[in-house]
Amino acid sequence: MPKANGVALKDMLAVVAGKTAAFAIKTFGLGLASNLPGRIAEKMSPKVLSSLAAQAERGVIAVTGTNGKSTTSGLVASILQAESLKVVHNRQGANLVAGITASLVDAASFCGRVDADYCLFEIDEAALPLVAKATPISIVLVTNLFRDQLDRFGELDTTAKLIQSGIEINKSTAVLNADDPNVAQMVATCPRLFYGIRQLAVESTVKEELSELSYSPCCGVEYEYSRRFYGQLGHYSCPACGKARVEPQIIADQVNVGAVKSEFLLEYGEHKLKIELPLPGLFNVYNALAAAALCYAAGISAQAVQEGLCRYSTLFGRSERINLDDKTLLIQLIKNPAGASQALQAAAADKDGQLLIAINDNYADGRDVSWLWDAEFEQLKDKKGPFIVSGKRCYDMALRLKYAGIESGEIIVEPDLSGALDKALAELPSGKTLWLLPTYTCLLELQKIMKARGCKLSAT
Amino acid sequence: MELRIGHLYAHYLNIYGDRGNILSLTNRCRWRGIETEVKTLGLNEDFADDYFDVFFIGGGQDKQQQVIAEDLQARKETIRQAVEKGAVILAVCGGYQLLGHYYRPEGAPDLPGISLIDAYTEAGKRRMIGNVVIKRNDGSTLVGFENHSGRTFLGKEVEALGSIVVGNGNNGEDGKEGCAQPVGKGKVFGTYLHGSLLPKNPRLADEIISFALSRRYGQVDLPALADGLEQKAHEYAVSLKA
Ligand SMILES: [Zn+2]
Repeated sequence: MPKANGVALKDMLAVVAGKTAAFAIKTFGLGLASNLPGRIAEKMSPKVLSSLAAQAERGVIAVTGTNGKSTTSGLVASILQAESLKVVHNRQGANLVAGITASLVDAASFCGRVDADYCLFEIDEAALPLVAKATPISIVLVTNLFRDQLDRFGELDTTAKLIQSGIEINKSTAVLNADDPNVAQMVATCPRLFYGIRQLAVESTVKEELSELSYSPCCGVEYEYSRRFYGQLGHYSCPACGKARVEPQIIADQVNVGAVKSEFLLEYGEHKLKIELPLPGLFNVYNALAAAALCYAAGISAQAVQEGLCRYSTLFGRSERINLDDKTLLIQLIKNPAGASQALQAAAADKDGQLLIAINDNYADGRDVSWLWDAEFEQLKDKKGPFIVSGKRCYDMALRLKYAGIESGEIIVEPDLSGALDKALAELPSGKTLWLLPTYTCLLELQKIMKARGCKLSAT
Repeated sequence: MELRIGHLYAHYLNIYGDRGNILSLTNRCRWRGIETEVKTLGLNEDFADDYFDVFFIGGGQDKQQQVIAEDLQARKETIRQAVEKGAVILAVCGGYQLLGHYYRPEGAPDLPGISLIDAYTEAGKRRMIGNVVIKRNDGSTLVGFENHSGRTFLGKEVEALGSIVVGNGNNGEDGKEGCAQPVGKGKVFGTYLHGSLLPKNPRLADEIISFALSRRYGQVDLPALADGLEQKAHEYAVSLKA
């Protein structure tokens, strides 16, 4: 195989072809250019992912798990930048093999050179083994393992096995959530680093959610909790044999959760860092903690961690705030019961805020909408309406609200998302926040609507 | 009036939004001024065979299903007695499978069922996933979503819940879905439909409520409810492809 500048000719051509495709897609407005250039490059050289990723000076690091992949990897990128490191990152959230390849093609020069310290990939749980086979991953962070899109993977145990095999391929260092029993028991054969929350400033009032119960693999019985933060996350032990949560090395303590930002004390090696995180909700504290733990495993300085977390600016649809005249739009993607319950908790805490919930059932959303019945919409019971629901499954959503105890008269159904947004904004008093909770393809639609209205958004 | 609901193994069998079925039963009673008591029945928990009017049992992951199958053996007679004395049982997915004689997994020993209905289930190679619409004998429709690899076969005497219009149903072969089988004075409803089942199928919810109430209160006529949202959600689901 002839090589130019150490890069195989075949890979160079693949990069050129991929870049040309990306350019054409952009120029002719053919839609989101996230996967196709990757697929074309892969076709021309099946090894293109591996040879491009291998050029990163300090290697490949990855983020996987059910919830928080995008925000967590965004936080990691922010920290690495604060450390003055160059990062290739599949920032568009295209987290299958083709999307990851596309991000590398985009970052490479025309002669196939990748100038980066790290490749940082957000990777879909099922795609992890495929990526790990193509390129050695030095560190894999697992955020959490919730029930999600069961029609895609079958069952939770299947997903756990996919992640484990992805980590074991390269004997990667596993950075694991100690508070999540579904995650903490993974890959005992690999080097592991644990992170977890010690205590909330105000004890969580969330009751156990039936859908997120967890069972000990040792005895098959339900775990007991001395502290439960949300879903199955907390300080747990097996009542039958006593096997319990492992003590984490990277710790968040005195966690103060707010509707706009959260504060906590981060124990990072010998450092105790005061973190002011500009993101709402406990789920984002976990994302920040996870990002810090991954950076600890990568040997990043405490100063960069503090800076990167505190100065983070959001990704589209992930707790993103948009100002529309004198009103605020807060967009939070929802895709499964645990994530939705967390978003609802944050929204319910904003007493004057209102809600627009948009549910589709396309493949990327999960075709089965029964997960809506496992999310804690009951948290909205005491909130002032109206509640606007939209999307293809708006009537399923309306029904869920009705059976959560919300008066039918308070529920406004508008299948068309643009129309629903108009109605919601018209109902919203000045100076207040509209919490917009869309499923994935509703989020994409929303992006188009906002663009057509000339609204400035952060990159996808 | 009061409806007593026994939620079997709520902490183990609870995937696919099955909680919605309980919410449907309790709300539809509450809106009519009928009180409800929901009791979660766990592992090793005995109960009287004449207390509950209706039982619900949902679906779970394979591991949880094993734990439950074992415990259920100890409650086999109580449940049969309860149904024969007039209780209704609604079983979805994994719970439905356990009401038959056995579940036969691929390359593992059989999981025993409680033989409340003449049916058995075998693991299949193909997972049946998608929207389902079925037609009942009275011409009404039921809608939901299925996600199972188990193939359930009913005995000749067992009445199915309905015939498949869209989707796979019991086994993807005979065009039948679920069961609606009288046992003694009671009735056994089994199905693969979640979504949840009852909120979007209010007619079935009311059928279960009035049957269950009749055990202690004789014939009960339920006043109609404002089911506008329920009907819209139902109609939309009828229009869906598998
Ligand atoms: Zn144990």
